[in-house]
Amino acid sequence: MTQTLLSSLKRALYALAFLCLLCTHHLYAQGLVVSGTVKDEAGLALPGVTISVKGTTTGTVTDAEGKYSLSVPDAESVMVFSFIGYKSKEVTAGQQSTIDIVLAADVSTLSEVVVVGYGTQEKVNMTGAVGAIKFDEKMTSRALPNLSSGLAGLIPGLTATQASGMAGNSNAQLLIRGLGSVNNAGPLIVVDNVPDIDMNLVNFNDVVSISVLKDAASAAIYGSRGANGVILITTKSGKGLQKTSITYNGSYGVSNPTKSPSLLADYPRALTLEDRTAATGTLPASLPFKNGTIDQWMAMGMVDPLRFPNTNWWDVILRTGSIANHSLSITGGNDRSNFFLSASIMKQKGLQINNDYTRSNLRFSYDYKLNKNMNTGIKVAGTWSDNVFALPEGFTQNLADNTAGEDLQYAIAGITPYDPTTGYFGGAMAYGENVQAYNPYTQYVNRLNHQNRQEVYPQIYFDWTPIKGLTAGVVYNMNYYNQLAWNADTPNQAYNFQTNSFGSRVYVATNAGVTQTTSTGFKTQLNGRLNYTTKIATHHDLSALFIYSEEYWDDRTQTGSRLDRLYPALHELDAAIGTQSVGGNSSTEGLRSYIGRVNYNAFGKYLLELTGRYDGSSKFLPGHQYGFFPAVSAGWRFKEEAFMSNFTWLSNGKLRASYGSLGNISGVGRTQQQSTLQAGHYMSDPSTIAKGLVNSKLLNLDLTWEATTVLDIGVELGFLNNRLTTEFDYYDRLTTGMLLPTSLSILLSGAYSAPQQNIGNLRNRGVELTIGWRDMIGDKISYSIRANGSYNANYIEQWSGYLGRGATPNGNYTFLNMPYNYVYTYVDNGIAQTWQDVYNATPQGAQPGDILRQDLNGDGKIDENDRKALPTASRDRNNFNYGITANISYKGFDLQVLLQGASGRKDFWLNDYNNVNPSTTRYAFSPQQWTNPWSLDNRNGPWPRLGGSGNNTAQTTFWLDNMAYMRVKNVQIGYKIPTNILNRIKVTSCRIYASADNLFTITKYRGLDPEKTSASRDTYPLLQTISFGASITY
Amino acid sequence: MITKNNTTKISRVIAALAFMAVILLPTACTNLLNQPSTVEVPTNQFWHTENDATIALNGAYSAVRPCFDRDYYFDGHGEFLLMNFNSLAGNNPYSGCTFTTPIGYGASFDNYYQYLYAAVIRTNYVIINVNQMLQNNTSFTASSVANLQSIMGEASLLRALVYFRLMCLWGDVPYFETVPSGIGENNTIYSTLPRTSISDIKDKIIADLTNAYNTLPVKKVGAGRGSKPAALALRGKVQLFWACWNKFGWPELSTFTPDFTQATAAYTAAVADFNAVINNFGLNLYQNGAPGQIDALGAASVLPNYFLLFMPAASNDFAGNTEFIMSFNHGTTNTGQGEELMREFGTRTNQSGQGGTKPRSALADRYQLLTTGDFAPPIVRGNPAPTSDANNTVIPPATPNHALNPQTYANRDYRMKSTFLWNFEQILGSSGLKSTGMSPFIYGNNAQSIKINSPTPNYVTVNADNNNTGYVARKFIRNYVGQDRSDGDFSWPVIRLADVYLMYAEATNELSGPQAGAIALVNKIRARGNLPALAGSKTASYAAFFSAIEQERIVELWAEGMRAFDLRRWRTYEKAWDPAGTNNGTDVRDTKNNITATYFRNASPLNYQQCYIYKIPQSERNRNPNLTQNTPWL
Repeated sequence: MTQTLLSSLKRALYALAFLCLLCTHHLYAQGLVVSGTVKDEAGLALPGVTISVKGTTTGTVTDAEGKYSLSVPDAESVMVFSFIGYKSKEVTAGQQSTIDIVLAADVSTLSEVVVVGYGTQEKVNMTGAVGAIKFDEKMTSRALPNLSSGLAGLIPGLTATQASGMAGNSNAQLLIRGLGSVNNAGPLIVVDNVPDIDMNLVNFNDVVSISVLKDAASAAIYGSRGANGVILITTKSGKGLQKTSITYNGSYGVSNPTKSPSLLADYPRALTLEDRTAATGTLPASLPFKNGTIDQWMAMGMVDPLRFPNTNWWDVILRTGSIANHSLSITGGNDRSNFFLSASIMKQKGLQINNDYTRSNLRFSYDYKLNKNMNTGIKVAGTWSDNVFALPEGFTQNLADNTAGEDLQYAIAGITPYDPTTGYFGGAMAYGENVQAYNPYTQYVNRLNHQNRQEVYPQIYFDWTPIKGLTAGVVYNMNYYNQLAWNADTPNQAYNFQTNSFGSRVYVATNAGVTQTTSTGFKTQLNGRLNYTTKIATHHDLSALFIYSEEYWDDRTQTGSRLDRLYPALHELDAAIGTQSVGGNSSTEGLRSYIGRVNYNAFGKYLLELTGRYDGSSKFLPGHQYGFFPAVSAGWRFKEEAFMSNFTWLSNGKLRASYGSLGNISGVGRTQQQSTLQAGHYMSDPSTIAKGLVNSKLLNLDLTWEATTVLDIGVELGFLNNRLTTEFDYYDRLTTGMLLPTSLSILLSGAYSAPQQNIGNLRNRGVELTIGWRDMIGDKISYSIRANGSYNANYIEQWSGYLGRGATPNGNYTFLNMPYNYVYTYVDNGIAQTWQDVYNATPQGAQPGDILRQDLNGDGKIDENDRKALPTASRDRNNFNYGITANISYKGFDLQVLLQGASGRKDFWLNDYNNVNPSTTRYAFSPQQWTNPWSLDNRNGPWPRLGGSGNNTAQTTFWLDNMAYMRVKNVQIGYKIPTNILNRIKVTSCRIYASADNLFTITKYRGLDPEKTSASRDTYPLLQTISFGASITY
Repeated sequence: MITKNNTTKISRVIAALAFMAVILLPTACTNLLNQPSTVEVPTNQFWHTENDATIALNGAYSAVRPCFDRDYYFDGHGEFLLMNFNSLAGNNPYSGCTFTTPIGYGASFDNYYQYLYAAVIRTNYVIINVNQMLQNNTSFTASSVANLQSIMGEASLLRALVYFRLMCLWGDVPYFETVPSGIGENNTIYSTLPRTSISDIKDKIIADLTNAYNTLPVKKVGAGRGSKPAALALRGKVQLFWACWNKFGWPELSTFTPDFTQATAAYTAAVADFNAVINNFGLNLYQNGAPGQIDALGAASVLPNYFLLFMPAASNDFAGNTEFIMSFNHGTTNTGQGEELMREFGTRTNQSGQGGTKPRSALADRYQLLTTGDFAPPIVRGNPAPTSDANNTVIPPATPNHALNPQTYANRDYRMKSTFLWNFEQILGSSGLKSTGMSPFIYGNNAQSIKINSPTPNYVTVNADNNNTGYVARKFIRNYVGQDRSDGDFSWPVIRLADVYLMYAEATNELSGPQAGAIALVNKIRARGNLPALAGSKTASYAAFFSAIEQERIVELWAEGMRAFDLRRWRTYEKAWDPAGTNNGTDVRDTKNNITATYFRNASPLNYQQCYIYKIPQSERNRNPNLTQNTPWL
């Protein structure tokens, strides 16, 4: 049986080989010349259409007027006309010498080829859940600071949350199908088959497509790294091109805050509020500020702004941002080789003064055909970035232990930012004011952080096809990075312009030094690959892939600092003479993988795919290093069945299902499982360190991978000749053995860092739906609308540690059958208006003007047990996400609108800037704190009284906001200049465009922005950017 | 033809596979999955040599030290020190513990409990492994064996110190001498440990200290290391506390029954130990107890010996200064082991210190007059505040005995100037490790340019932005520049000779009333402040002498973490905070007579009970069914 099959296989192969030979022979036959014009359905000439002779490498491209001329071997030659966005057309040359062609716009996405892990697949034949977008001009025309920010609302199941507009730190947080793990739940990013590249450093003009691998079937090929989904980014190359072309794309945009925070620029009023806050428990004589001080400031503030300033800090520290993008690429090729070369520069000026980001990119790719069955090539990409910023979050540093007072909440209005006459930076001046009040201007001018980073990713490959269907290939690549982070603060001291003296706060001491941290490292990957495809009988397509892969990481950091710079402008260690200190560290990691995939396609309608990956990681001890991650998926293109042929309204129908497992080792440290002793030194005399070691590690020898199993069922339907397409997915994802630190006995937890334990199971269930409609109105207007939505619910299914009421392991509210970090809140009854209201409520130390909380368990006191859990809402994530993209084009004009929204998240609006119990000195009030707090004169005030009960700032429903929003993410209008005009300046195509990002937002959230995640201090607004640009191809 | 083709094809496939193999094999052979740590020491290469034992002992020190070197916080539970701010890192044992008020703090010490047990484990680890070394390897020379035994003794001394602290605060606590070997079952063992009675713990501590005494050297090998007198002094202190609990009772600890016989025996044992410490090792007070020189009011160029004793130089001079019987070393810049006394006691003027720890205004009345050797008239607080003339010259009030009048502080115990600053007292300022000159302290006048006896501004006042008592500390603040606020190299004393003198006096007084030897020792301490000897009336009775001893403890040991423990073992919390017994509590006032806080007004008995014993961590009780709670916290 096998013998017969083998021999028939062989025969089939020989037959094919023979055919090939015949074809080759034809190449050298005497040719004839065909010429003509290619136009679109509207009659406009199409430049750049590729024309090739089928079965040969001969071809050409239409010129600016859509004209072509091509010599073909003979009359039987078949010419293939292809152009992106249009249906390909095949025409037999015949005896005609002129062939004019009209290409129809391709309204179907069926012929789409999608990049999947280690290869490509036709979308119709895919059995996994993969979301894909082509990166077209509509994407590159947006004024985006980075790639991740552009992904919001485009792919169901992929959420991209923008938490800040800070230049250089505004990448979106990506999550695929909800939170898959309490550890790092971000997807694996793979650029051109190379994992571990920061997608935000990629020039998005170089990107061709992005694929999002969502289920086990598609992601299992990434095994222990694929549990949270994979994002595959493919960049441009010159493959298939014959003609050389040069493209320039440039844009410039200006940015403003989507919503701006506000500070009260009225110091006497702020002082009055301080007194009002303090008045709750202080005799009038002991109030922090005297009436004289306040009155004097009010009067003098009008005539002497230097000594009695009323600074509007936002005017001082905010500016109009800008973003400029220039990208130039050259591409071309011939029969044997092709290349792609691009260079770009992106300059972003943040909203905050001195927050600048510059990123330059280079990319080069070159493929060369050694002979008819061997190829080699190289890809090199590099990125250089410089970032300047004041504090980690721009205006702030959200660290609980940052007590240095470098925070906007201390930026009182009564400080002169800077006096250019004297060159002094102001400090607190009012009698009674805390001299540690904060001048943010000096921070943002004199205390800047610099971060210069270079990354290079060279990649070489070689492949060989010794016999038809079998390809052996090897790829080697390296990701190298080098980063220098440095700061060299400029000494300065707060100046009191009233007394004309220094003496209060020293912002930067005179012996200010320099600190430099160099991080450098590389990651290498070696892939050996065998690929075999064959056809058995007529209707059975079989392909198999095997890969052996080795990955190796090597990272190191070195820090040096030295006090007392010779001169303020210098910032190298050698330019300082004071105390110096150094530090350094390194770590390595290895991963060895065996990867396999088999695809089977019978009769073009029964699809089966098996994938498996066997991963071994150096993070685990021998004997525990390897894990196996298999997946199986099947598809049925039922529309292809004979019995469906009558349903002509249905143009495509596919049912698919997949099941498989994935792993996640990101929660395990590189040397976590090694038994080691750590430093714990003592002093033998005041200057000599006595070497000491302690054993602060308890090993969990039973530790295993965090594993995820995913079931996915999907339906793909196309109606009305694929003008209407829908895709629906249901998934059930169970993450088992999530790694979290063991909850140790308190007798041990001080001495030992808690070892990781496979502690809990988390389940994500969800549905995703995409509906697309594409059509023409008449023959001039084409339009499309595409909507996608996804719903995801997650909950903790099992937990092996102790979970008490309100337990927060790892800082997140965790309980069985509840979403991770669910909302746990007191319920309020509003603000007490009268003492009677207070008496009627459960005693809770309230007075009129305080929030009254409900005694939910009715035990006569308000305590932790009166908090209520909301079983559906998470504080961190929305569970319903949607996006709508609409396009319309008429002649050369096009318009695109992208709406994006989400709902289901609830969080408390409690931060340092709406605090109703602020500190009674050096607090920067907001205008709302003047108008909103309850008082006898302001009984309808929406906030409780100032300086009232501490419970007023507790997490009650009073402050709980629905974080749902809908946002006009992008509106874009473009115009393609007609070819007849362009011809005169020898330009192939030119599009000019205007684009607006984050145009407006509808939300009930009272805070800065519903997408922001860290709410307590971070005030960096999101950007609303209006930009203009042009894309020109020669 | 077919055969030939076939062969070609097969050979090509083989060639392809071989090609792959050739490329991949060399790399595949490397040890990709073995990536050892680059900064940590593999455990299996340790515990072979004597040096390893020393290194592990240092590791134990690094865990015990942070549990004791900020004991000044504990004075925040007493009447004479206000600690209202700290910036401790989360992994500091004292972090999260309440020291800001003398009431209602006992439930906040979970973190401290946790790190005390970490210290227990670190010391256990040394004792167990050194013991194993001695058993497994019989080829050690006699001197090596003695050295290893001394290392075990030193670890025992540290362990005793830690369990003593646990016992003082929580009463019965779990006692163990093991270390865990992994998680799982081991975690279960530790989370089911019941509490051990203080009587048993005390016996274990005494045994550890006796072992330490037997093996440790007579003289310590470094400033912060153990020695025989340290073991003895601590043993005496444990006996003294045990005696106090048996004499005065500890009703909040329901498992404990006081026993007078035990008290007497323990006092006797304490006297014996203290006596040995005082007489057998040639220990002496710093500079033989001489008061040293003192500068005029306001000036601070010359400071008394008592001040110098708390400078790094004296604390680290273990050969010349034998007063620090047991202390914990710190390292200066770039050692990662600096103390933060300047940051905690100093003001912004002192290397941007934060002034979180300062004297309460009540402390000032405790410093006696050089002339009479007795208390001065009570200090008058309130306005008039200092005034200033048109030239911004600050003029102090002239009212006699007024807190804001510098003259009030003339002629006092030298330890007063050594301990804190009142109005117009000066301190050396520094910023960026460079001197900013002398700076006068004027309460409420922070960082202002002023004139003192000068037509032009000649001083910038101390920037005490965090002060609300009217005084700021001088004790512990370096009077020279060059080290940052967190880079101090002071060796923090846990037991010093002056404390032993006073404990000896207390124990003998309990056994047999005022004794000549004890009185002489107390006078020796008073002489350090340049005070005359105690008047006859102060040593006439048990009670009078007890008061004299308490007075000396308050003044001599300010901010050394003793006061709250004294109040507890003497059971005088009520007396300290509600002296009239009217349940009015105490209004705490600053030097301007503003009430800054009121403590223990209408306090319930429970409030006091909760001062006498701390709360067993609830989180551990949730997991450990055998862990009982102290009665006041039920």
